Amino acid sequence: MEAKPILKYPTATAFCLTSGFWMMVATFYGLLGATELMAPDLTANMGGIVFGRVRPTHVNLVLFGFVTPGLLGAAFYYIPRLLGTGLYSERLGVFTAVGWNAALVALVATLAMGMTQGREYAELVWSIDVVVVVAFLLIFFNFIMTVKQREEPILYVSVWYVLAGCILTACTYILGNVIWRPDSGALVGIPDAILLWFYGHNIFGLLLTPLSAGVAYYVIPRATRNPLYSHTLSLLGFWSLIVVYTHIGTHHLLQVPVPTWLKVVAIVDSVAMVIPVMAFLINIWYTAKGKLGEIHADIGAKFVFTGTIMYFFVSIQGSFMALPDVQRVTHFNNWVVAHAHIGVLGFAGMIALGGLYYTIPKLTGRPLFSRFLADFQYWMVLIGMVGFTIVLTIAGLIQGNAWLNGETVYRVLPEIHVYYVVRAGLGLMIFGSAVLGFYNIVRSVWVGSGAPS
Amino acid sequence: MYYPYFIAYIGIGLAISLGVFFWALKSGQFQDQQRARFLPLRDDLESPPSRTSRAHRVEVYGLFFLAVAGLAASAGVLLYALYLN
Repeated sequence: MEAKPILKYPTATAFCLTSGFWMMVATFYGLLGATELMAPDLTANMGGIVFGRVRPTHVNLVLFGFVTPGLLGAAFYYIPRLLGTGLYSERLGVFTAVGWNAALVALVATLAMGMTQGREYAELVWSIDVVVVVAFLLIFFNFIMTVKQREEPILYVSVWYVLAGCILTACTYILGNVIWRPDSGALVGIPDAILLWFYGHNIFGLLLTPLSAGVAYYVIPRATRNPLYSHTLSLLGFWSLIVVYTHIGTHHLLQVPVPTWLKVVAIVDSVAMVIPVMAFLINIWYTAKGKLGEIHADIGAKFVFTGTIMYFFVSIQGSFMALPDVQRVTHFNNWVVAHAHIGVLGFAGMIALGGLYYTIPKLTGRPLFSRFLADFQYWMVLIGMVGFTIVLTIAGLIQGNAWLNGETVYRVLPEIHVYYVVRAGLGLMIFGSAVLGFYNIVRSVWVGSGAPS
Repeated sequence: MYYPYFIAYIGIGLAISLGVFFWALKSGQFQDQQRARFLPLRDDLESPPSRTSRAHRVEVYGLFFLAVAGLAASAGVLLYALYLN
């Protein structure tokens, strides 16, 4: 490791490395959790890694360790390029990345020690909550100051998406984590559930969706060398996402005594999500029309394009699952787990990896260390993710129908065991690919350690 | 009792969105949309487009095979459930 390259984009590089590293840890926790579902006694009496602690660690690490930094890494590269100016402060950016990693370490440690707020997806204790919010505000500040000193008068749609994603996540995080109550981090009763699911949905929808859309809107035109199909349509998609997405979290509470008007808002807006989704997909797919060969040839664009296809599937599922009759079979079982894996791994995770593999060669000025490894990872993630979806959807339908028939849990568990076994196997594959991917990223960033293949 | 937080959020969110929207309208963000389409391409596209290798043709076949296998399996399950069970 002799000649370190001069890093023109230290912040982007730091976030890319963050993403690559924490993807390994996050998928390992996922594998561990899947194994524990398969063999529940495996970690009995091992306090730090019982299922109840592994699962929140997996979810939060995937969210804040793998996907978000990956998308931000690409954003820290393309925002200055789109605005025709340098990043406002690379030093601040690197500082944010370091603080971000410190928060992730604290996340793993506190959850392993059982320090949790006990609210699904909002488990982190108050002090980490504050760090996360501050990190998002710092990133937003960095971007908005870059926007302020821009030379290009028009904000490209990716810039809109990233700015909105960062500031909305800061708001969502404060509200959803009830951050004004440091002791419990919760309200009482139904209002708490409403805020929790407001958070639970928006943290995916208003963080991962806009950041992923931003990356796709940048990478696909670049890779195909086509102009965007319609910038007006993309802005329409952006503004309708902002209006529609913010209120749909309550669709997780349709079987709960929540005020009907709120349920109606959630259902209507969930179905209305078809507008921003289709605006995005039509735009991206028309941009790529006739240029699939170029997309196929560029590994970053290949990941990103696959992500947009998964976005189609996950959004259609999501809109339908908000309908009460569909939800009666699909909620509170493994169907939702399958849905979440298409969304976070298939859509946002694929686009995050695509962003990484598209950005890293630009950051370093050299080709990727190994195109083969990246391709290999692509196939492992794709097969693993599709496999998850299939087996977990089957298991979920078994569970959902058993529930409707009034069957007891112990009768159903043996029936879905085989699907858990397959799922753990696929998880091992994804963890393996994450290790290879991290190796590839590290070797790509630090030159002098081997010839590219 | 449930409402204040949520209504406040929706209200504040709408107010901020509208504010930003009108700023965008006034500062001409929605004009010149034809040029905006080309913004990602404005930088020099320094490297030549990457070339597809022969291995990628195998990939396409693999993908095709997976899709057909998946559809066939679904059809098989349906047939089994409807007629053979």
